[in-house]
Amino acid sequence: MYTKKRLALPFLLPGLAGILLFYVVPFFGGVWYSLTDGSFENAFVGFDNYLKVWQNPMFQLGLRNTMELSAICAPSLFLLSFLLSLILNRIRPAGRLFRSTVLLPYLMPSSAVLIIWLLWFDYGGPVNHLITLLGGQRVAWLQGSELRVPVVLLFLWKNLGFCVIIFLAALQAIPASLYEYAELEGASFGRQAFSITLPLIVPSAFLVFILSFVNAFRIFKEVYFIGGAYPEEPLYTLQNYMNNMYGKLNYQNVTTAAYSFAVIVFALFGLLFFLQHRAQRGLN
Amino acid sequence: MRNVKGFRLRLIQVCLGLLAVLLLLPMAQTFLYSFSSMTEMQAFMKTRGSYDETRWMEAHLIPNLVSLGQYHQILIADNTVLWLFINSAMYAALILLGQAAIIPPLAFALSKFRFPGRNGLFFGIILLMLLPFQVTMVPNVLTLRSLGLIDTIWAVVIPMWFAPFYIFLIRQYMVGLPGELIEAAEMDGAGAMSVYFRVILPVCRPILGAAAALSFAESWNLVEQPLTYLTTRMDLQPLSTMFNQLATENTGFEFAGAALYILPALFVYLFFQEDILSGIQLTELK
Repeated sequence: MYTKKRLALPFLLPGLAGILLFYVVPFFGGVWYSLTDGSFENAFVGFDNYLKVWQNPMFQLGLRNTMELSAICAPSLFLLSFLLSLILNRIRPAGRLFRSTVLLPYLMPSSAVLIIWLLWFDYGGPVNHLITLLGGQRVAWLQGSELRVPVVLLFLWKNLGFCVIIFLAALQAIPASLYEYAELEGASFGRQAFSITLPLIVPSAFLVFILSFVNAFRIFKEVYFIGGAYPEEPLYTLQNYMNNMYGKLNYQNVTTAAYSFAVIVFALFGLLFFLQHRAQRGLN
Repeated sequence: MRNVKGFRLRLIQVCLGLLAVLLLLPMAQTFLYSFSSMTEMQAFMKTRGSYDETRWMEAHLIPNLVSLGQYHQILIADNTVLWLFINSAMYAALILLGQAAIIPPLAFALSKFRFPGRNGLFFGIILLMLLPFQVTMVPNVLTLRSLGLIDTIWAVVIPMWFAPFYIFLIRQYMVGLPGELIEAAEMDGAGAMSVYFRVILPVCRPILGAAAALSFAESWNLVEQPLTYLTTRMDLQPLSTMFNQLATENTGFEFAGAALYILPALFVYLFFQEDILSGIQLTELK
């Protein structure tokens, strides 16, 4: 550990300067922006912009869709990757090949996969074929709110691997003796998973949960690939609203929408941190 | 832990195998279709969306005629895809170069130096990491506008140089390095700079490889930034934003385009997969 402050400067400065210049300083400048009217005199208008944006139906639609899609995507990503990593951890040497396979989609450019994805979900495509073989009815996946299904699945396809890898890293640090004991006590697989494993990996699990949400807020990417720049209502996200406002040079609204969203995100993460803290204290 | 054995292991392996096939199928199918002739693909793609209750899309697993026509089209006859590909490569290269110069030193300062405000700075970086793009794009836009960088490639490139996730990832790895490593080098008379280049960077190889691969994947798949910052410059758009258009226009060569687009990411993956796996395993992610 180096203690001379001067020594740190050459390492610290370039990055610090960039973070200050591109993130921190304009972040506070933006607060001022969201409180003025953007006219020539740039008069102070207090919270008028916020009230206006919150009442805007497109903002409400975008925010609601972003939150709904995230609320579907993040927990399902979390649960799926937890279960998958539990299974992989139990068949350890044999699961090696699968572990590297599951990571591959995370590095793939998802728009290249999109054509195939749309073919799969076509009205006459293999997904519907499978459904009818199982005795169901065909679904028009590429219209209306059904369009959310391929979007969410594309998101899961892409992000599953990375979460599995983080979980696996944490799982491999758990001593085997704990499970042997649980086995003697006759604990089932599910009971072991949620009473032994999950509490022991709370920090990593928390990271996966948060990262799932951070990624899920960016679901616009998948929406754009499948629904284009002007998607139907069920897919219109906050990013669409902001891009439209930005295109109209309405920076006041862009800033206001962004900061409103920031408050919501931080309230959500604050709550999660609080719950994690309590959960961990309860365990000790 | 007690490993699963016998029949249950077989069953799990079969299920995982099926899942793996499903995960890889889109790529495999893309490569397969890229060797069909253009007319064949155009005819096939035209049928999309026109199926009724009585008809199914054919599986089309084997091309009627193996052809390099699509590749000829995108590589020689028509260079639209090639230009977009070059744009994408340029963004990825510029982003990664800047990150390599800025992020590991910053992570080093945050993990192995003691200075006032260090913890506050790290906390700020974590907050930044948690903020969605919709929020961070606002400060970025304000600065980019005052510097006159909107509608230039730098609007996409420069903010990525300070991507908080990679700072976090590399810092967490460096924190885990034993202090003796530095002390031993100092005994030999090495200054902070040469410790960084000769000791720290070499031992961080796995996490640097992992971060580079993950960052490449992100840069290769940029969507929000080019769409927001380059609205008037269609000529600067990367493949990631323009690919859909290509796919909807039924050009006949979309599969070869997709294959070309996937290939660099595939190579990066094959080259760095061990780094990603071990880098994340050795990092204190909490």
